[in-house]
Amino acid sequence: MKTMKVTIEVNNEKSVLQVRPYETLLETLRERLALTGAKESCGMGACGACTVLVNGIPLRSCLVLTAEVDGAEITTIEGLKKDETLHPLQEAFMEKGAVQCGFCTSGMIMTAKALLDRNKRPTKKEIIRTISSNICRCTGYKKIIEAVEEAGKK
Amino acid sequence: MILPQFTYHKAQSVAGAIALHKRYKGKARYLAGGTDLIPLLKLRLSEPAALIDLKGIEELTNVTRRKGFLIIGANVTLFALRNNPIVKEYFPALCESLDATACETLQMRGTIGGNILQDTRCIQYNKSLEWRTARGLCFKMGGKACNVVPNAKACFSNYCSDNAPALITLSAKVKLAGLKGERTVALEKIFSGNGRTPFTIEPGEILAAIIIPLKKTKGVYEKLRVRDSMDYPLVDAAVSVTGNMARVCIGGIGPVPHLYLLKNMNENTVNDAAERAYADAKPVLNTTLSAAYRKKMANTLLKRAIRRVLKEGGR
Repeated sequence: MKTMKVTIEVNNEKSVLQVRPYETLLETLRERLALTGAKESCGMGACGACTVLVNGIPLRSCLVLTAEVDGAEITTIEGLKKDETLHPLQEAFMEKGAVQCGFCTSGMIMTAKALLDRNKRPTKKEIIRTISSNICRCTGYKKIIEAVEEAGKK
Repeated sequence: MILPQFTYHKAQSVAGAIALHKRYKGKARYLAGGTDLIPLLKLRLSEPAALIDLKGIEELTNVTRRKGFLIIGANVTLFALRNNPIVKEYFPALCESLDATACETLQMRGTIGGNILQDTRCIQYNKSLEWRTARGLCFKMGGKACNVVPNAKACFSNYCSDNAPALITLSAKVKLAGLKGERTVALEKIFSGNGRTPFTIEPGEILAAIIIPLKKTKGVYEKLRVRDSMDYPLVDAAVSVTGNMARVCIGGIGPVPHLYLLKNMNENTVNDAAERAYADAKPVLNTTLSAAYRKKMANTLLKRAIRRVLKEGGR
């Protein structure tokens, strides 16, 4: 099947790609751009492990076609650090021990980043509401919530 | 999970999308948020030759007030609608149902039009190809049997939109655009009653807008689900009240939401509506909860919703 030309800016780096029309953004990120921070878990939009920011909005990249996001700015977990400094969320996740097996972590952080971007000091209730978009099967939610609270204070 | 092969088009106008759909002779599907459609494609429950993306159509993304109506473009996301000040002020039942839909991230992607036109669901149907065909094809897969109820004559799959019941209580209409032009119908009239093809929408027709009379209402939305964070409703009840008149809608059981009108709200009329909801609810074992429990909950949620609307007056 004919491929399509798509231009996307991933982590401030412009890429011009020839993609299959039925290719998901997650496949493009992982397989073409070697950005394996976003994980495939359920593949059905239920778990949130593949969450990335598309024009600042957290999306499940397993449900988005790359063709749909032509021209968009995409941020993945790899794009959060500035030079060699980690994002406050990444620091807080380490400090609070919010990472267990780590599979949900990048999705959790991207979802939380979108929350902090629109609401600098969210309440615990707001954090829980937002984080409930993502599933952690180690069930380490308490420390994840603490980490987001901590990052909000920074 | 890997998607089947299809081509992708981005439509710039409603007319353009309809013309493109015609060219594919029924083998194309419209794509909005994709939160319902993409999983269906991944499971091979639908294998279109092309997807026609409607997100580039400007006119479908607006919310406007006109002549006593609120007109909501079908591509408005659930998240944007939930935070719309008019929805908050005038339509509390819808505000609560939007709040209860999926999770925040999916609300930011899913659209109100897509939420209304989501396919019906069944525990034996929304499965991988290998899993679901091992027992033989059911009605919804194009077969001649139901894999839930032996000897059934029809498909019992459940319509799981949170927002359609709330919109029905608000007397919402939908504007449909197709090859034969535009038509506007009451939302409760778009259901066919057949779980296999749940809507009476013509091939190629696009749900363009939802039109709600701009009258202040009191209202609530009650939903039964196993997991509070993001599940589909297993039964749900929406109530909107204007004056002493209530419109109640029960969804989540079978392919059609049921509407009940209470001209005067008092103990007798509420109990009567709850009894009717109980009688009309015909759940089968096609969700994670038992049919008997869901049937009882249709009655309970209706009463609970009305009790809450009388106590709190909605939000």
